[in-house]
Amino acid sequence: MSTITADTTSLDVQAIRSDFPILEREMRNKPMVFLDSAASSQKPDSVVKAMDYYYQQQNANVHRGVYQLSQEATDAYEKGRHLVQGFINAASEKEVLFVRGTTEGINLVASSYGRKFLQEGDEVIISAMEHHSNIVPWQLICEQTGAKLRVIPVTDEGELIMEEYEQMLNERTKIVAVVHVSNTLGTINPVERIIELAHAKDIPVLLDGAQAIPHLKIDVQALDVDFYTFSGHKMFGPTGIGILYGKEKWLNAMPPYQGGGEMIETVSFEKTTFNELPHKFEAGTPDIAGAVGLGAAVEYMEQIGHEAIQKHEHDLLVYGTEALSKIPGIRLIGTAEDKASVISFLLDGAHPYDVGTILDQMGIAVRTGHHCTQPLMDRYGIPGTVRASFAVYNTKEDIDRLVEGVRRAAKMLA
Amino acid sequence: MDAESKLKQLYRSIILGYNKNPYHYEEMESPDHEIEAYNPLCGDKYKLFLQIEDGRIKKASFSGFGCAISKASTSILVKRLEGMKLDEIAPMKEEFLNIAFEGAPTEDEEFEAFAAAKAFPGRSTCVSLSWDSLQEWLDQQ
Ligand SMILES: Cc1ncc(COP(=O)(O)O)c(C=O)c1O
Repeated sequence: MSTITADTTSLDVQAIRSDFPILEREMRNKPMVFLDSAASSQKPDSVVKAMDYYYQQQNANVHRGVYQLSQEATDAYEKGRHLVQGFINAASEKEVLFVRGTTEGINLVASSYGRKFLQEGDEVIISAMEHHSNIVPWQLICEQTGAKLRVIPVTDEGELIMEEYEQMLNERTKIVAVVHVSNTLGTINPVERIIELAHAKDIPVLLDGAQAIPHLKIDVQALDVDFYTFSGHKMFGPTGIGILYGKEKWLNAMPPYQGGGEMIETVSFEKTTFNELPHKFEAGTPDIAGAVGLGAAVEYMEQIGHEAIQKHEHDLLVYGTEALSKIPGIRLIGTAEDKASVISFLLDGAHPYDVGTILDQMGIAVRTGHHCTQPLMDRYGIPGTVRASFAVYNTKEDIDRLVEGVRRAAKMLA
Repeated sequence: MDAESKLKQLYRSIILGYNKNPYHYEEMESPDHEIEAYNPLCGDKYKLFLQIEDGRIKKASFSGFGCAISKASTSILVKRLEGMKLDEIAPMKEEFLNIAFEGAPTEDEEFEAFAAAKAFPGRSTCVSLSWDSLQEWLDQQ
């Protein structure tokens, strides 16, 4: 386990790295530099061990057995929910739904809220910097209901144009769904203001928190957000599990998303009544081990502390931005004032895939392509970017290696 | 072979040369056929333009964007297509893919330049993108 010094804002990055055995691996015969945590973070020992323990000692189905083992499994699963509730400061565990990830969280709201509340001529507001998972579900429900999608534009720097958003809000607007932190640009959006403006017209807001949750302290009550969703695998937890937070009043008003076991109260062929929250939205046997792992990830992040995480990542962002900016022919995509530790860039005359291939040969893992944000790429008239994203286990040496690699790529492809 | 030499093999002058100076890299005014080559995973997107006379390709060109590998491969394809009969395309494609992916011996330096892509994960579609799209089009004719 990593040791934390008395100063809550500094951390011992070497101690943290030792929690992640995978970081000791070599790639292409060189120590691996992993700069793709925005796609999926690595998992600390404690998360893997918690899941192992569950499978080896506690495995049984949940909420179903009268026997002790089933009770233990249920407790382990519900402990995960309890930890997440505290982590995001939800008012009640009823408001914390387990889903497969951000994608499923958004689909759940789009489908369930949409079927109930959207009608022909209504409007749904998203932004130009959304991940495909916060575009397509809304397009699908708009097609079914006749509602219209409206898109908040972005500036050249990668910030939302708030005046346009304000003008877009009207009595036909039924929901606003925007990304908290952009996975491509790193922009931290002014979500407090977005919510305030929407609430002034009684419009609920969904935030895609996939990229915010690994970096920022999220307090859903302070934000007063209506729906907040994120994935476990981007915050040091396992794949296959994520969270949809929803205000109780909305979740009660919405119809179930999927039908099956677990979500019912009584079933007959004439009529079925539904279980209470959160089970109403958790049909079928859930990802129990995933919930256990997510709980362990929450404990891991809380142990390090958000302040320390944010400070370390901000240092890396500043260091990386400065070092990369000095490379001739480089163009940073996304230069918002308020940014998370993501740097997207292009190299003059070089395609992101070619740069990515050269970096890979040097043992450096970056993401290349459109990052599931094609409309945003079109907005900037680019085919994609090279994206380096930093997590709490990255170091300045990682960035030095990246800079060296990008210089090499520039030379090679020139 | 170490990583550095593998890279140099891949990004050698043939591929980089065609990337920088692609062959007939322009839209055609009134083509007989326009074929799209698109890889939704990486976003590479080209249009191939063909002018055909008596079952023979009189002129070929292309437009669009993609990585150095796909651009060079498309460029070479377009160059080879000119003057070719339609039924000669499939055998040429087979030869190209055999050299690029199966390591078949050859004297054809331009085709051989792509054999290095084997060592790179995820880059084989860059090599074959336009060739596969052209084949799909041919199969529909
Ligand atoms: C901003 C954003 N939203 C949504 C998603 C989708 O998350 P998942 O694939 O875990 O459902 C991602 C992941 O790439 C993301 O970065």
